[in-house]
Amino acid sequence: MTTTKALHTEEFLVNMGPHHPSTHGVCRFLLTMDGEVVVKAVPYIGYLHRALEKICENRTYPQCLPILDRFEYCTSMSCEYAFCLATEKLAGIQAPERAEYLRVIMLELNRIASHLIWFGTTSLDLGAITPFLYGFREREDILDLFEMTCGQRLTYNYIRIGGVSRDVPPEFIPKAKEFLDKFPAKIEDYVKLLNENPIWMIRNQNVGILPREMALSYGVSGPVLRASGIKFDIRKDDPYSIYDRFDFNIPTGKVGDCYDRYLLRIEEMRQSSRIVRQALEQLPSGEIKTKVSANFKPPKGEVYSRIENSRGEMGIYIQSPGDSKKPLRVKMRGGSYNHLQVMPEIVKGGKIADLVAVMASMDIIMPEVDR
Amino acid sequence: MDRTELTKYLLDRFSDKLQLLDTGKAEPVFILKAENLLEFCRTIKADDTLAIDFLCNIAAVDTGDLFEIVYSVASTKNRIRFDFKITMPYENAEIDSIQEFWAGANWHEREVWELFGINIRNHGNLTRFLLPDDWNQGFPMRKNWDAPDFVRMPEL
Repeated sequence: MTTTKALHTEEFLVNMGPHHPSTHGVCRFLLTMDGEVVVKAVPYIGYLHRALEKICENRTYPQCLPILDRFEYCTSMSCEYAFCLATEKLAGIQAPERAEYLRVIMLELNRIASHLIWFGTTSLDLGAITPFLYGFREREDILDLFEMTCGQRLTYNYIRIGGVSRDVPPEFIPKAKEFLDKFPAKIEDYVKLLNENPIWMIRNQNVGILPREMALSYGVSGPVLRASGIKFDIRKDDPYSIYDRFDFNIPTGKVGDCYDRYLLRIEEMRQSSRIVRQALEQLPSGEIKTKVSANFKPPKGEVYSRIENSRGEMGIYIQSPGDSKKPLRVKMRGGSYNHLQVMPEIVKGGKIADLVAVMASMDIIMPEVDR
Repeated sequence: MDRTELTKYLLDRFSDKLQLLDTGKAEPVFILKAENLLEFCRTIKADDTLAIDFLCNIAAVDTGDLFEIVYSVASTKNRIRFDFKITMPYENAEIDSIQEFWAGANWHEREVWELFGINIRNHGNLTRFLLPDDWNQGFPMRKNWDAPDFVRMPEL
């Protein structure tokens, strides 16, 4: 292939990964390159395949929850919640009011923590080190809140079928409010660091544009879909739990490039803290768990339930045979699975350095892809 | 459109092709015949009332004596979400690819092929990706699959 008539060039193959720092896990790209331009990119996955779905088929429903924590470990709360929601729909269980509020508080705090990881690692991938430290500093406060609630910092096993495992300690609410008070100023710091930064703008603006039709066709969801200009958020459009009681906005992008995805996630952190604040103010007292037997058998049936995770639509499909305490089939659907699928289309024709920017801005996480 | 309206609309529209499964309060699940799959997908995508533009998930299920493939679809415009499934016998299980309607079906179908051994017609890229390249131990998500190093949880 020749780029100019005078210059003869040849295509060559580059193997990127599986242990490349910018792939956020173990993902391999086989790149066909023409100089620095990506002609074709083929993702290879499966390095983190742990057969979670098969393991779940051999466990009772409550025993599945710790496995679900490992499905997408940046937002373990969401995974637990998605599974509990599906099981509760299947069995007709209603969690108490207070439990629902605690769940929303944890889910939104977890979303902020996940976006902070994204913020830090993305900037690190693109050569900025300070945002990484800033992001992890604030995430630490959220992890402290989780730790004082359930003793864990990464895989919580907190949300249970029919409620949550334990109530928040008395010092949780003042601590959470303290965090919410100082967090907006921190976001302003992030924005000051990056928004107008010339290097950041050149690396992100008009890079990795994802047109809206392609986004829909590939099942792209969450912040990436909204950055492409489609106002769709499951919290608003297919409401679950008690999200219809809170006042929050759904930001959307215009261009659908990496920069839009960055701006959108920053705005989502602001909106999530609004939800947490409202939930803390409205938090009722009362029970935190409906009694569910460890050996309970949901009636025969099947359900696909989906929630809005920080990486897009997280769906759990469960089929119950009716006479067994183990599910017949559990299928986990994560947003990254479809995001990685669309990547070859949008990195085609760009520079190899843009592939790193695109992968970072899509917020792909490999355990969710491989399961 | 709420659950009852949606069910009625779909059953009216596809009276001879769809059959409703009783699933309680959750979103409706329909049973569809394999030969109607492509036409059904084409219609629900083009229909303005439904405008199904989003494929959420494809899940294959091994019930022990037959395979089921469950398609979860949604609309981002009309607040619609429902599932439909296709059942097929164990022997020579085969299904058409629906990539022409939703390109994202590619990996979901590839996974169905790899883990269950259900052939996907007109897929174009049926290669291993979750299992090792030299995998020769059959289809691990089938119920009758067992491996020497596979440990089952003790019964409670």
